[in-house]
Amino acid sequence: MGITVKGLVKHYGGKAVVDHIDFAIADGELVSLLGPSGCGKTTTLRCIAGLETPESGHIAIDGEVVFDAESGLVVEPYHRNIGMVFQSYAIWPHMTVFENVAFPLRVRGVAAAEIDRRVARALERVGLGALHGRSSQQLSGGQQQRVAVARAIVHEPAVLLFDEPLSNLDARLRDRTRAEIRQLQRELNVSTIYVTHDQTEALSLSDRILVMHDGRIRQLGTPEAIYAHPNDMFVAEVVGAANFFDVTVDESGAATDGGGATFHTAFPIVGTGRARAMIRPDKLLVGPDPGGLTGPNTLRGTVRQRLFMGGYYEYVVETGSGSPRVLSSREFAEGAQVVLSFEPSDCIFLAGE
Amino acid sequence: MSGARSLAFNDRGTSGDRGGGWLIRAIFIATFLVTAFLIVTPLVALLHGSFQTGSPGMKTAFTWKNWADLGNGNIIHTLLITCLISVVTSVFSTIGGAGLTWLVYRSDFRFKRSLVAAVGLSFFFPGFILAMAWVILASPGGIFNDVLDEFFGVEWLRFDIYSVGGIIWIQVLHIVPFAFFTLRGPMISMDSSLEEAGYASGANPWAVIRRVTLPLMIFPLLSSLLLCFVLSVEQFAIPAMVGIPGHVNTLATELYLLTSFSPPNTGLAAAVGLAMSAVTGLSIFLQRQVVRRHTAPTVTGRGYRVRPLTLGPWRVAAHGVCLFYVAMSFIIPTLALIYTSGIKFFVANPFEAAWTWRNYHQIWESPGTIRAFWNTLVVAGGGAVLGLVLGTLIAWFTHRLKPRGYRALDALASLPFGIPGIVIGLGFLWSYVYLPIYGTLLVLVFCYVARFLPYATETIGAQVVQLDKALEEAAWASGANRLASFRRIILPLLRPTLQSGYFLLFIAYFREIAAAALIYTASTQVLSISIWAFFENANWGVASALSIVATVITVALMATVMRAPLKV
Repeated sequence: MGITVKGLVKHYGGKAVVDHIDFAIADGELVSLLGPSGCGKTTTLRCIAGLETPESGHIAIDGEVVFDAESGLVVEPYHRNIGMVFQSYAIWPHMTVFENVAFPLRVRGVAAAEIDRRVARALERVGLGALHGRSSQQLSGGQQQRVAVARAIVHEPAVLLFDEPLSNLDARLRDRTRAEIRQLQRELNVSTIYVTHDQTEALSLSDRILVMHDGRIRQLGTPEAIYAHPNDMFVAEVVGAANFFDVTVDESGAATDGGGATFHTAFPIVGTGRARAMIRPDKLLVGPDPGGLTGPNTLRGTVRQRLFMGGYYEYVVETGSGSPRVLSSREFAEGAQVVLSFEPSDCIFLAGE
Repeated sequence: MSGARSLAFNDRGTSGDRGGGWLIRAIFIATFLVTAFLIVTPLVALLHGSFQTGSPGMKTAFTWKNWADLGNGNIIHTLLITCLISVVTSVFSTIGGAGLTWLVYRSDFRFKRSLVAAVGLSFFFPGFILAMAWVILASPGGIFNDVLDEFFGVEWLRFDIYSVGGIIWIQVLHIVPFAFFTLRGPMISMDSSLEEAGYASGANPWAVIRRVTLPLMIFPLLSSLLLCFVLSVEQFAIPAMVGIPGHVNTLATELYLLTSFSPPNTGLAAAVGLAMSAVTGLSIFLQRQVVRRHTAPTVTGRGYRVRPLTLGPWRVAAHGVCLFYVAMSFIIPTLALIYTSGIKFFVANPFEAAWTWRNYHQIWESPGTIRAFWNTLVVAGGGAVLGLVLGTLIAWFTHRLKPRGYRALDALASLPFGIPGIVIGLGFLWSYVYLPIYGTLLVLVFCYVARFLPYATETIGAQVVQLDKALEEAAWASGANRLASFRRIILPLLRPTLQSGYFLLFIAYFREIAAAALIYTASTQVLSISIWAFFENANWGVASALSIVATVITVALMATVMRAPLKV
């Protein structure tokens, strides 16, 4: 059942912010909408919540049609069975923590005793059991975020919608809360859409990632698949750091660049001619330059910059083919002569832009 | 998404179950029509009147004469006097307000809280009562001159409040608190680390004020200057009380004299009023432009603390100047009123005075005064509800729902900013004579609602803008419909603002005299007019007693309604 979105279109001031989006989310699945700001991910989420009305398309939540442009059906947000966590948390300042979380139950006319029980359980789930009598004004950012989550799940909605819920937390809290949201979502087994511009969040949380750009879907797939096989340069950069090399692909499937290096890939190539070879910084192996001839899938270069990152080093290596970034636990001095190498299975050719 | 349009106003043809959409549109249209009726009618009537030979309600003919008469020497002279008074007043008021702001928010001035509270009190002290007190104090037969004569035998030094200088003096005392309150927002939100960087670069305090603080505050200062100028031009009570006896007329009093004394020349008054509105309207337009330019870096985060600048030996001087201001603007005038209200006939020496309660008894024994009390209560108490409801609707439409035509509504609602009270009163005189409600309190209520509409929309609008839209959306997402969300989320959050908005309107309606001066009738007399009338009849004792009672009633009433009306 989950969520089905078909042919969704939404314009602001003549510009298509959401431009024919189609996707479906299975029961209990968590899908991230990932992309830079202005890509249409938040608008898509708000259309599903009913906070925006699209111009055309079709949306169904848990098997129930909530929007259909053709028949003119628009279900109000308060008649959709959703739970939503807002970027600003939107904790009502004139209510206690308890009243904030109880609100969805109160407007549904749930009995008082039942409200007490379910609010207590929801607060327990987010680890705020002791805080229910607290004024919402006295909460830290992290606590507000948890109250917002408790309020979104208390009425056991069919779907959960998250609008960049961690972007206002500091880095350490963000890491912890991310893991908790994932665990909570697994326990509740509820279909979830999670809007974010943070690649780490999307990669670590999601069953699948939907990468958006200019109102369109660029790629939809599991985090692993998207990371390893991005469709294009845009997706490659959105889900992680990437090194690109300008190459020309010949009929044999090998590629060469202006610096004389040869790139082999383990994957079938789409076409010949100009392309970009993409290799992740952690897939470039760095070693001392033994001198003499080098084979394919190697680049000879000089360490130009070294940054110590704690568990590893980040290098910028100047080669005849460009200056890729390289991650390695091995130590080299700036100015050292090195050779970079990579497996054909870590090299992928993308169409040039 | 900033460009997002509200849920309620997706104008596309999706019919379905869009409960409430049409209702909201109907409310918007009603709001628009009421606002247009209240504000456009008097203006159109004024324009019409300025081309008529006679007075409202009489048989008149078309003429160009009124506009031609604007050019005669008398009116030009009045215009120049008005400009002189207003320019000097606005310059001194802005300097005074800026000085107070700086002392309170940047220096180690000792009595900051007391100073802010005292300035707040002066802010609410009605201009016509202040003017009255200063007539008692500094008119040729007033307390100051008597004291000089009797106790010191100084004959060469005489105060004469009935003069251009007198008008300016009272107006500055009256407008400084306004300048203070307009400047303190920008001052508080200004990033003080910019000034600290000045000190760190080796500049002394004076250099920092001159080269950092002033340049950063230049737009707020200009804006304050223009607003003070407008307040001064439209000021009616002060020039009426001290100007008319001294034969010093401003445009506002000239307009009043043209309308109220035989033979009335209401047509010329209309032309004068429109010319006056052109001056104030242009100033407001300039002020808006200035505000738009103001882009000084601000701090919104909490927890930072400004290190106050040490005044050293100047601190005593600063305390003295502020005490002098508070004494002149509030304490001494109040004492003078209390004194005058408690004596049989006026003498400057309290030891020669015959003390009495007679003036207070007279208030209760006069049915006219009792009626004025009730009228004021109805107009201020009930009218403020009306003004608040209309203001809230307008603020909600212009800042939140933004339906088609909201800009026009916004422009309409802020129009009274640029129109002096006496001019609005004249407009109502020209238009409402023809309506069946003429001569009822409703005309006063409509007039006040129109005149002070910007107070309501600005106060509430500022809060609506602050209100995170997601707070309401979260209620929808939680399953509450529009009505329930409004009742349980929006209304409780707006309540403090609505309360202070009500207080503001109540005070404004309560003490308004300019707009009422032309449209009150015997049965719709209000307190401010009564006080003025007693005063004009040289009955200083009853006028003072009435002022004291009115002040006590307002404060007591607001204290019960608002609990802490003067929290500053």
